[in-house]
Amino acid sequence: MKFKDTLGYSFSAIRLRKLRSGLTTLGIVIGIAAIVALLSFTQGFEVSITDQFQDGFSTDTLIVSAQNPMQVPGGGVEPSDFTMYTNDSESIETVDGVIFATPLVSSRATIESDLTSTTAEVTGVNYTEFAALYSTTFVAELGAIPEEPANDSVIIGQSLYDPWNNGTYFVDIGDSLTVTINAGLPTEKNVTLTVVGVLAEVGGSSFGVGPSDSGVYLTLDTAVDFFESDEVKSIVVQLVSDNEATINAVTLDIEALFDYEATVTSMTSLLDTMTTMLGTIELLLTGIAGISLLVAGVGIMNIMIVSLMERTREIGILKALGAKGRTVMGIFLTEALLIGVIGGVVGIAAGALLANLFSGLLGGGFTMGGRTPSDLSFGTITPILTPELALWAMFFGVVVSVVFALYPAWRASKLDPVDALRKE
Amino acid sequence: MNTNTVLEVQDLKRTYQLGSIPVHALRGVSFQVNAGEFVSVLGPSGSGKSTLLNMIGALDRPSEGTLAIRGTEVGTLNDNQLAELRQRVGFVFQFFNLISRLDAIGNVELPLTIAGVPAEERRAKAEQMLEKVGLGDRMHHKPSELSGGERQRVAVARALVTDPSFLLMDEPTGNLDSVTAGEIMDLVDTVNQELGMTVIVVTHDPDVSSRARRKIRLVDGQIDSDEVNNN
Repeated sequence: MKFKDTLGYSFSAIRLRKLRSGLTTLGIVIGIAAIVALLSFTQGFEVSITDQFQDGFSTDTLIVSAQNPMQVPGGGVEPSDFTMYTNDSESIETVDGVIFATPLVSSRATIESDLTSTTAEVTGVNYTEFAALYSTTFVAELGAIPEEPANDSVIIGQSLYDPWNNGTYFVDIGDSLTVTINAGLPTEKNVTLTVVGVLAEVGGSSFGVGPSDSGVYLTLDTAVDFFESDEVKSIVVQLVSDNEATINAVTLDIEALFDYEATVTSMTSLLDTMTTMLGTIELLLTGIAGISLLVAGVGIMNIMIVSLMERTREIGILKALGAKGRTVMGIFLTEALLIGVIGGVVGIAAGALLANLFSGLLGGGFTMGGRTPSDLSFGTITPILTPELALWAMFFGVVVSVVFALYPAWRASKLDPVDALRKE
Repeated sequence: MNTNTVLEVQDLKRTYQLGSIPVHALRGVSFQVNAGEFVSVLGPSGSGKSTLLNMIGALDRPSEGTLAIRGTEVGTLNDNQLAELRQRVGFVFQFFNLISRLDAIGNVELPLTIAGVPAEERRAKAEQMLEKVGLGDRMHHKPSELSGGERQRVAVARALVTDPSFLLMDEPTGNLDSVTAGEIMDLVDTVNQELGMTVIVVTHDPDVSSRARRKIRLVDGQIDSDEVNNN
């Protein structure tokens, strides 16, 4: 039997049982749609993160911290008692390939304006160096980043300035802001500062370094005085270049400088870590969607076996008319193939639609975890459906359909024509 | 073997296992059928008619003895070769056995489709055959839209379209009223006489067997009589 004829014959069999074929196909559609929607969404997410990462952070910088910035708090690893101080930046600056190193001192604190109060991460930085490091994000939208700041200067992030997005500002340029640490404790102390600048919207996430929309930035000296400690959270290092050799060499040198107790993170490796994490998430989601596809496959097998029983006589007729076992097998496998192809096409379309619907619903206010929205907001995510993804989805849909039809088709091909014809 | 022989059966035996009990359906049957003959095989139920029919139709293999269709020994063939041989047998069943979702012409084309005959050629052959059985105006009707007699005509057309070695009919009128049965047998007569097609019909209906020019009577898995019909 020619393939074209097998196709026609199988299609007529599918068309005859519209509802049943439709429901069987629906299983595949759901499986494929889930894969396509989840993966195109994850890919869009990945691109959006990577873009913001590359927008917001310079690749020619390193971050030196006493603790691993990517380490989950309470994640089982004993935090070391190694600490770094502001003057460690001077020793880092002696390393070859380093232009300058700037320390970051920070603490969680309560900040209070005339209007209300909130908590935020308060960071002491050298304005000039910080602006040089993050030339695209540490930029004032209002006011200015003073070159020679007064001791009571403070610069705030966009979402702190306009927390409700409605034109009611937490504080404005020239207003005073009171920062309190250890609120409620006997050691409580506060300082009153004057807002000199508001950062333009950074977007994305700070991942613990770089300017943030919810950040409060004091001058380094004020922060050290106020916190009564020159212990630093991290030291950001500006390198001469972002080539891999420089990054690796400087990383090794700095690690040696601190007897391998400090963690040196390059933005590139941070990006790699993020990509790996997203890859894991992607794999997990694919697995979940894959399960639904497997369930659909079992559905196909089930329906095929029922169909085999109903069509025993038809198989007998085909065999009596000279059909070989492989012809009968071909007919059944082609039915599965058609279901796979139709399910795949509809599934890809449905998946693309679903992903866009998701992103529409989540657009703008998409948040992760239990942190304040501005901490980890990724803006609108545009799902990305690559031709490769569509092809793979199609491929898996067809493979699952055909593989699960193998057993029923094989049984059909092995039916004895005499027995099959006797069946009512 | 005579080159004119389309079917040669030698000491044919077929034994089934019914649980642990062997059932001897055929106990040594020998006969031969020459081209152009019209043979009826008759006998009461349990006489081994169906078993013989299955083997003549290349659906089953003998336990012992030989059965050759145009010189091809059935017992030595594998499943695929047997299937190919069936493409040269024109089977007509009691219950028509048409594929309900295909129209008349689709059903007639089916054996040619299975054999891989190109679409235009098989369509032409099927149309021609349906004209011959008198269904030229019913080609695009589904079996459910045809009467019993018309369905059996479609089945006859389907059996003949491959230009088979012989037409093998299993109770062809068993499901038809006597008038329609008569019409179908008239058609079979025409096919035998005008086309020179060899016809083997298995039946227990005396009206059908009386049309044949040779009667083989089976009793208890053996040939009881094999005689020329005097009617």
